Amino acid sequence: MVKTRKAPAKAKGGKAAVKVRSKPSAASKSTKPPAKKKAAPASAGSTKAVRLTFSYDGPAVKLVSQDRVEMTVPPTDPLKGFGKQKGFWAELRNKQDKTLYRQVIHNPTRNDAEVFPDPDESPEQSIAREAAPKRKGVFVVLVPDTDEGDSVTMCRSPLDKTGPGRGIRAFASKPAIKFRRFKLMK
Amino acid sequence: MGTSDGKVKGSTKIVDAGPNTQRWNVAIVSEGYRESEMGQFAADAQQFANTLLAAAPFDRLRAAINIHRVDVTSTDSGAKDPKCGTSGGTGAKPKTYFDASFCTQGIRRLLVGNSGRVMNVVKKLVPQVHIALLEVNSPIHGGSGGSVATFSKAPGAVEIALHELGHTAFSLADEYEYSRDCRQGGHEKHSQSEPSQPNITTNKNRATTKWARLIKATTAVPTTVNANCKVCDPQPTPVPAGTVGLFEGADYFHCRVYRPEFDCRMRNIGMPFCAVCQQAIVKKLTPFLPT
Repeated sequence: MVKTRKAPAKAKGGKAAVKVRSKPSAASKSTKPPAKKKAAPASAGSTKAVRLTFSYDGPAVKLVSQDRVEMTVPPTDPLKGFGKQKGFWAELRNKQDKTLYRQVIHNPTRNDAEVFPDPDESPEQSIAREAAPKRKGVFVVLVPDTDEGDSVTMCRSPLDKTGPGRGIRAFASKPAIKFRRFKLMK
Repeated sequence: MGTSDGKVKGSTKIVDAGPNTQRWNVAIVSEGYRESEMGQFAADAQQFANTLLAAAPFDRLRAAINIHRVDVTSTDSGAKDPKCGTSGGTGAKPKTYFDASFCTQGIRRLLVGNSGRVMNVVKKLVPQVHIALLEVNSPIHGGSGGSVATFSKAPGAVEIALHELGHTAFSLADEYEYSRDCRQGGHEKHSQSEPSQPNITTNKNRATTKWARLIKATTAVPTTVNANCKVCDPQPTPVPAGTVGLFEGADYFHCRVYRPEFDCRMRNIGMPFCAVCQQAIVKKLTPFLPT
């Protein structure tokens, strides 16, 4: 059966309401591995979520909005053994800085783009990458809404200054470090 | 331009597996469809839903997935198609709600809409949305990833959406081993750092690699080795399709990084997801299945 919902009002483009508190963290600090005590499965069966919407303009990331939503949150990514991994992810942490939930994210702050040539133009290669230094847009992080959750920490691999991946975020080779921390609103 | 060039009409749940609070919610949003073309968008969205739910592993996760069609009209049909250097472009400038355009940043096939505007619309109509896709009413081949996977109506462009869904919703890495092409320098050896994504690894230890449990004892590890790290590995697969092992070359590098199967949707669009990618998707969507 098909269910229809009318637009509640004319949806306006542009910025969502900005009611956030954010705290930049020391970029040089490495990510802290989770405590030895087994973390609670923060997302298991949870139907309370906080949706954080971020905007990015090049490498800069801003928190645009936090919304509490009744919805199921996907399960956490591994909470152990990621301390030296490369990539981009968000961590829900408690006041003691223990990681409760972690979501690996395909780095949205890249300075290149995935391009899909027309099959007639490139029959051998269905995907390629091209430089795209001025990327901007939004991305969303969903975390469980728990009493314990205090902040969301964003981690990503720093840009390589030398070597084959120099200056290109998709090729960043070093372990991720935390670059921003956002306090959750209660 | 933008929101004055159309109207948000509403949303329709075209695949209903249960309450939005308990299911994984996909929103497919229209761009560049005039009011008179919304019937066509309904058909296009249904076709996308059918394609998604026919693709493994989504075919066995149907009970976990709701799909919502979000109807937004535009003043004109299509997407902006500026003259794009020597790559073509018709110069068309239709007025559309999300301002989708080809030739983004000078790249002919890079089709991008205003992702912030898309998310604002979708969050109002489908508050429990997990992933949004933008279907652009244009026959020109193109698409893009990011928080809102975007694709045109060109034949095969829906495959772009499925590949990008792998990135955005399931954190899957690219399994191709080059950037622009296989001869481009600077892609010889991957760093020693282990990637955070579930479908690529630098660990070639049979017992401890990420997908160790899916590798049969009879499968050689590594399964392929690139003899010349200056280029992509040209050898054909030495094992039957579907064999899980450690195949050298992935994550934009020719050597020292491994993918789980010889081919996969995260390596070539048009292919199915490999077993390891399927496992990652199943793991993420299992909590959305009815209990």
